[in-house]
Amino acid sequence: MGGQVVTITSGKGGVGKTTATANLGVALARRGQRVVCIDADIGLRNLDVVLGLENRIVYDLVDVIEGRAKLRQGLIKDKRLPELHLLPAAQKRDKTAVTDKQMIKLCDDLRKEFDFVLVDSPAGIEGGFKYSIAPAYQVLIVVTPEVSSVRDADRVIGLVEAQEKSSPRLIINRMRPSMVRRGEMLATSDVLEILSIELLGIVPEDEAIITSTNKGHPVALEDHSPAGAAFTRIAQRMMGEDVAFQALDESGGLLDRFSRLFRR
Amino acid sequence: MTISFKGTREGLLITLGEGVWHDVLNELAAQLNRPSAQSFFKGARVILETGARPIAVTELEELIALFAQHEMTLTSVMGERQTQEAFDQVQASLPPPESLTRGNADETGVPPDATTALLVHRTVRSGQVIRHAGTVVVIGDVNPGAEVIAEGDVIVWGKLRGVVHAGASGNENAIVGALVLTPTQLRIGGYIARAPDDRRSGNWVAEIARVRGEQIIVELWSA
Repeated sequence: MGGQVVTITSGKGGVGKTTATANLGVALARRGQRVVCIDADIGLRNLDVVLGLENRIVYDLVDVIEGRAKLRQGLIKDKRLPELHLLPAAQKRDKTAVTDKQMIKLCDDLRKEFDFVLVDSPAGIEGGFKYSIAPAYQVLIVVTPEVSSVRDADRVIGLVEAQEKSSPRLIINRMRPSMVRRGEMLATSDVLEILSIELLGIVPEDEAIITSTNKGHPVALEDHSPAGAAFTRIAQRMMGEDVAFQALDESGGLLDRFSRLFRR
Repeated sequence: MTISFKGTREGLLITLGEGVWHDVLNELAAQLNRPSAQSFFKGARVILETGARPIAVTELEELIALFAQHEMTLTSVMGERQTQEAFDQVQASLPPPESLTRGNADETGVPPDATTALLVHRTVRSGQVIRHAGTVVVIGDVNPGAEVIAEGDVIVWGKLRGVVHAGASGNENAIVGALVLTPTQLRIGGYIARAPDDRRSGNWVAEIARVRGEQIIVELWSA
């Protein structure tokens, strides 16, 4: 029995697919899982930067698929985490360079050696989305608590459901409980009410994400970042562990009560 | 490539899987031509489910021709917007179905000529379109960005937040009912209305919309 192919997608761009892929990859690898992250966004390569592996790219996804490089040569091993690998996207090609069948074959090969094959899907619902979804055993939908993001996620969920795959699971990213409390942001319940799929985790807005992305040092490598901890809990759930949901204080939490106390 | 057949009360549900169009069509023809199946398919009303695959006008015409050989008629299409638009075009070029006879509404406003209803037992999501020559009943939500277009009534046992058009071929006696009626836009026959801006979604108050005195009115769904 091989590993799982998990595709991370969203429909809308800029909601944190690549950040989620990188951090889930790191969190899974830190827990001893053998992980490979595939950057399926051909032509708009990003995952290597977020993981801090840009300067080690020799071969890419298209080189492997077209047979110019062996699978082993294409994989970049992360020096910080020996279990973590990256298969980078080609930067000089476009989405037509890969077909659904080739992607399925590639992931089947990788599944034999890895516990998790994480596919970072491009935004949109065109070819790139289709070949990213094709090999997936499980699809994770990343959504931010905004109406436009939820609308696009709904569209993508419909497309995944039409493929007769298991129902996708949801990651709500960049949640800001204080804004929810003021009624300025969609609450978790609002998002779930429309999308009605299983919630895998909620990631709070965290400024550390921006610096970590720029430095190529995913937050999940550290224990003190709130977003990193959230990604770690999601990774544990992906491994089948039963991790309780942390109450995101959308209705006035402990921290907030303290800060109100001091402001008085 | 997979084609599945399922008998439902509304008609024969045919679901087309992935694959090259030519192959799909050939397989479907082969399935329909099986001697054992002839009597089963003959005269069937077909509901076509196309999933994520877009179907072009020419492809749809090939399908309708194939169905015609077996005296089958295509009454509904469930699938992508592009497929729906193709179905519109094809339908426009065909004579109108006999189900469009208009009758006088009785006291409840339900048209007496209601053809068989289409039951949709799932959430209709953004980008998905349900189109049917009779009444449509959705058990689940109709999300923003989704459309339900029926020549009869539209009943949603859930939250209706997308675009809905009842009596799409001009029947102004058609109604729209939902447990939560907050559509993006609501059309009955040639009338158009939209939910007021201050309406809070999520209140579980079943309501019904109908045409009264040259406008669409919404009432509590009681009695």
